[in-house]
Amino acid sequence: MDRNPEKAENLQEVDEMKVKRYLSNVLTLTEFELRKLKHDSTQIWLRSVQPALWLLVFGEVFTRIRVIPTGKFSYLQFMTPGILAQSVMFVAIFYGISVVWERDLGLLNKLLSTPVPRSTIVLGKALSAGVRGIFQAVTVLVLALVLRVKLSLNPLHVLGVFGIIVLFGMCFSSLSMCLAPVFRTRERMMGIGQAITMPIFFASNAIYPISLMPGWLKTFATVNPLSYVIDAMRALLVTGDFSHIIIDLFAITTATVVLVVLASMTFKKILV
Amino acid sequence: MNQHSVVVQNLVKDYPKVRAVDRISFAVVGGEIFGLLGPNGAGKTTTIRMLLTLIKPTKGKASLYDIDVSKYPEKAREMAGYVPQDVSVDGDLTGYENILMYAKLYGVPRIERERRIQEVLEYLNLQERSNDMVNTYSGGMMRKLEIAQALVNRPRILFLDEPSIGLDPNAKRTIWELIKKLRNEFSTTIFLTTHDMNEAEVLCDRIGIMDKGRLVMMGEPSRLKSTVKGNVLSITSKTPGCNTKLEELGYSVIPGSKDNRFDLVVTDGESLIPYLLDTLKKNGVEVDAVSLQKPTLDDVFLRCTGTRIEGGERWTETRRKRRTFRRLTK
Repeated sequence: MDRNPEKAENLQEVDEMKVKRYLSNVLTLTEFELRKLKHDSTQIWLRSVQPALWLLVFGEVFTRIRVIPTGKFSYLQFMTPGILAQSVMFVAIFYGISVVWERDLGLLNKLLSTPVPRSTIVLGKALSAGVRGIFQAVTVLVLALVLRVKLSLNPLHVLGVFGIIVLFGMCFSSLSMCLAPVFRTRERMMGIGQAITMPIFFASNAIYPISLMPGWLKTFATVNPLSYVIDAMRALLVTGDFSHIIIDLFAITTATVVLVVLASMTFKKILV
Repeated sequence: MNQHSVVVQNLVKDYPKVRAVDRISFAVVGGEIFGLLGPNGAGKTTTIRMLLTLIKPTKGKASLYDIDVSKYPEKAREMAGYVPQDVSVDGDLTGYENILMYAKLYGVPRIERERRIQEVLEYLNLQERSNDMVNTYSGGMMRKLEIAQALVNRPRILFLDEPSIGLDPNAKRTIWELIKKLRNEFSTTIFLTTHDMNEAEVLCDRIGIMDKGRLVMMGEPSRLKSTVKGNVLSITSKTPGCNTKLEELGYSVIPGSKDNRFDLVVTDGESLIPYLLDTLKKNGVEVDAVSLQKPTLDDVFLRCTGTRIEGGERWTETRRKRRTFRRLTK
């Protein structure tokens, strides 16, 4: 259509520049989130207490009484990916609180007054939550290894797990950012976070197989993104059975994309 | 130089229950310090937020340096720097990092970044503390850091929403000097809002007075004040019957004067004083003190709107500000 090829090339260059700038802005936001973590990493340690208790208390006891059929794998092996995912979920689902806090200060207002497009901010924050999730997951993995849980430490598998954690962190932090403009205060966000984490966790394959559930709960568990995340991580870390991994990845990616888009669209409402 | 930096035409912002900004129109000249003065809830912040494309106008047009903010919001934001009313620095990062982050987000080229950051740090006298965590900074330093963040973009226009709110008098003065210097050295256009008449008077070349969403008056502070006719002259005297003497001489004493003080509304008070003192002495009235109150912007506001701008911050606001600082500094 364009009769001037030189101009067309320029336009393409401009587009490339835009994409580059967009990505670099996303990474900038993530970078500074990590710098905050570097200045004060206390929260990572505090947040690893709960998964530690799950593995040490719940895991040890249920391994002993063998009421949950986990095939040829020990119960601790079975539940480790579940607890891993849970620890990341806690980081992500309460991420909206920090967004509300930044709104209460003037931080968000100022961030939105920069030339950076709105969706960059959502994506940058989501990615930050994902990367925070990795740090959280590492503490759980290390603990599992200390407890002598047999896990696949093939670097490719571990890398795959980290990839899934980033996606999952982005997915649930976007969900949290969708909720933030609705609930608006930190206290309410705390409440809603607690209200949804429990059903999402227990109606998943985190600590027992879906096959044990009654029918109605099974339905919920199969639309629960957490089930797919755990299934994929379990394949990578424990079973080595990759027969569902395509479906798992597809489900996680779809949920993430939908929620990121939704959050980008509604995010600005938090200011009003 | 005389290009208009901000042009606003019939701008309206409606919220479900209230019209926050009601058909305002004005223009700001490039390189001037322009202030919107008015009480809390007058629509000043809403106006700034519309100019910065943080919220959409219900009706009307606004442009920054001929760029329509509704059509090209990102372009408009590129030219602007913004210091919001609330604390907008991140306490969990160092001062340097706070500036670096904004340098990156504003797209300051990598090769220039470090130099510009050092420049603004030096300009605002923050070098020494630049590697300290911001949650150890004082309120005044945080405000300076916020200005530094905005300046790293070298904005053509800087928006300051209540720049000295919550600051102690010393810090206030520093910030004022800084703003003036900024305009004088770089001819940056400064657009600020304030409810502090003193601030508007000391700082602004021109002000617009806002009340209940309307722009009720606009002009240079001195000119606005000269529109208020008459000054208040106070006379203190212990001589009995001074009140009636004054009435007899044809002055109207404002009722409710106390402690031997009598307030008169006069025109051209400065040249009246010697004459009045002379007359009173001849009539046997001993005058202990005289004072003349020049009209203030508050009087201008009173005349335009029938109410006064509240003195200082409301206590709820002060409390909120204090709480924020406290949380930020643990």
